[in-house]
Amino acid sequence: MIAIIAWRNVWRNKGRSLVVIGAMTVGIWALTFAGGFMQSFLTSYIESAIRHETSNGQVHHPEFTQDYDIQYNIKDYESILGFLKQSEVVESVTTRSLVNGMISSSRQATGVKIIGINPEEEAKVTALNTLISEGTYFEGISRNPVLIGNKLAEKLKVNVRSKVVLTFQDIEGNITAGSFRVAGILNASSVAISESSAYVLKSDLNRLLNIGDNIHEIAYTTVTGTDDEALANRIQTNFENDKVESWKEISPALVFMEQMMASMLKILIIIIMSALAFGIINTMLMAVLERIRELGMLMALGMKRAKVFLMIIVETIYLSTVGGPVGLFIGYATISYLGKVGIDLTDYSEGLEAIGYNSILYPLLQPMDYVQIVIGVIMTAFLASIYPAWKAIKLKPIDALHAI
Amino acid sequence: MSTIIKAINISKVYHKSTVPVHAVNNLSLNIEEGEFTAIVGPSGCGKTTLLNILGGLDQPTEGKVEVDGTDISSMKDSELIDFRLRNIGFVFQAYNLIPVLTARENVEFIMLLQKRNKKERHDRAMELLESMDIADKANSKPSQLSGGQQQRVAVARALASKPRFILADEPTANLDSSSTNNLLDLMAKMNEEQKATFIFSTHDQRVMDKARRIVTLEDGAIVSDVKR
Repeated sequence: MIAIIAWRNVWRNKGRSLVVIGAMTVGIWALTFAGGFMQSFLTSYIESAIRHETSNGQVHHPEFTQDYDIQYNIKDYESILGFLKQSEVVESVTTRSLVNGMISSSRQATGVKIIGINPEEEAKVTALNTLISEGTYFEGISRNPVLIGNKLAEKLKVNVRSKVVLTFQDIEGNITAGSFRVAGILNASSVAISESSAYVLKSDLNRLLNIGDNIHEIAYTTVTGTDDEALANRIQTNFENDKVESWKEISPALVFMEQMMASMLKILIIIIMSALAFGIINTMLMAVLERIRELGMLMALGMKRAKVFLMIIVETIYLSTVGGPVGLFIGYATISYLGKVGIDLTDYSEGLEAIGYNSILYPLLQPMDYVQIVIGVIMTAFLASIYPAWKAIKLKPIDALHAI
Repeated sequence: MSTIIKAINISKVYHKSTVPVHAVNNLSLNIEEGEFTAIVGPSGCGKTTLLNILGGLDQPTEGKVEVDGTDISSMKDSELIDFRLRNIGFVFQAYNLIPVLTARENVEFIMLLQKRNKKERHDRAMELLESMDIADKANSKPSQLSGGQQQRVAVARALASKPRFILADEPTANLDSSSTNNLLDLMAKMNEEQKATFIFSTHDQRVMDKARRIVTLEDGAIVSDVKR
């Protein structure tokens, strides 16, 4: 009967209870939506970074990543490629040769990472071809084509078919230079691609580096849902002389962002729940103070303080949890809908893309995020109920009965 | 008849202002089983304080109260709550029904606290409501009942727990003449039929006329104790 009394008590003052339930609904919806929106920012950034930069995993000579010395090539890359191509979870693989150098036009010069690629393989792994905004993907230029990012093109003041010179050291340490012609300009949200990379044919770069068929990097993508760290460990076990890293090891900043976003979601939950908790406490305190005489009467008749405490707790939890599921459902519906159609932030695309985000975001919340919110609601309801319940049991029946 | 309540030299002093107020002053009183006792006297004479002490809602400053030989004056708060539940029925001046429960649920509530089973609760609640001529309002909420009807539900609730005695503080103060007579007749009937012991404070002459024992207080002390 305590549950029945508590439930009916919630509806004694319908207006006041509906305001609290409404606040809970809006608060939970806002929390769900904000969480989904934040998650979409993170997912967009990480997916973009994995897709166009790090891939799901990479293999290098153990010394290579320390200072990009081109002598540290992958020795037995054919075996590694064979292993990766046999793996069911590996989607596509590409090989690259890399060197740091200078790119210069007739008007400017700047440092770049020169990446020698196989265009077909690279398109499958990084979808580099999809980033072409002007010109073509290595087509139409018969000798030494190069792709550069739009920011780099602006800096060098070059256009499609402009001539640029790439300068770097070959395998013997000699300064060597090659004349390249811009085949296409890449428009990428990644700063690394748009400002500081030059993509050339691997055969052209290897010829200039004088390294034959050697490669410095193998990059691979995996099917959705693959445990990239576990896969990297498995490859590492088979090829101990090389260094295999998942995207989390290649780019710790992405992991940091992931953790930071999770922390921000928790902080957001705490802030919104705290605000709601004070609203609930205020309402329940009013409800208790209005019913001093009644509570005193219950204790006078023989209702134990523990039961009075429980009644107020149950009443508060009812009040809090009626709005919670409604807000959660509306939040889920909003996230599901916007997760399909996306939130178009084209008006801010320039700014967003400058810092590595896409201009269309797709809100997303993991099941665990919903669980966190549900736990947050229950904890809030419980904590918010303690003070009013404590106030109720502190009443002395005789004083309460004589209260006006 | 056995003695249910023994109040021995009880005093209650309030120190709410600079001058101590002796609400009850070295008072001794025995209540026998089945009595229909009115405690009367002018306002401020200590009627309500005495009832609160007899009912274990308040502790005397001096002296002790024994109910069936048990000293309730030295009981802890939690023990008193349980004691009241098992032994004492209360009827308040302002009815004090639980507004969100129906008349029947209000009567059942006290039996629920006593952990009686559902059928027993329901049957006894309906039996009491019938005895109080209010069974037709069993499913009405207090807000749908008149003052007299609410007080009859309150009496039924007080009887529901099968208490050793019932304390009623000014039970007719908020009732009109007809409701008062009706209620008093019903209380007298319950006293006769169920041997329920009633102790009520009042300054209502109609109540005094029905009482079989009248204890008159003045300045916290008994000035007369008349049995009829």
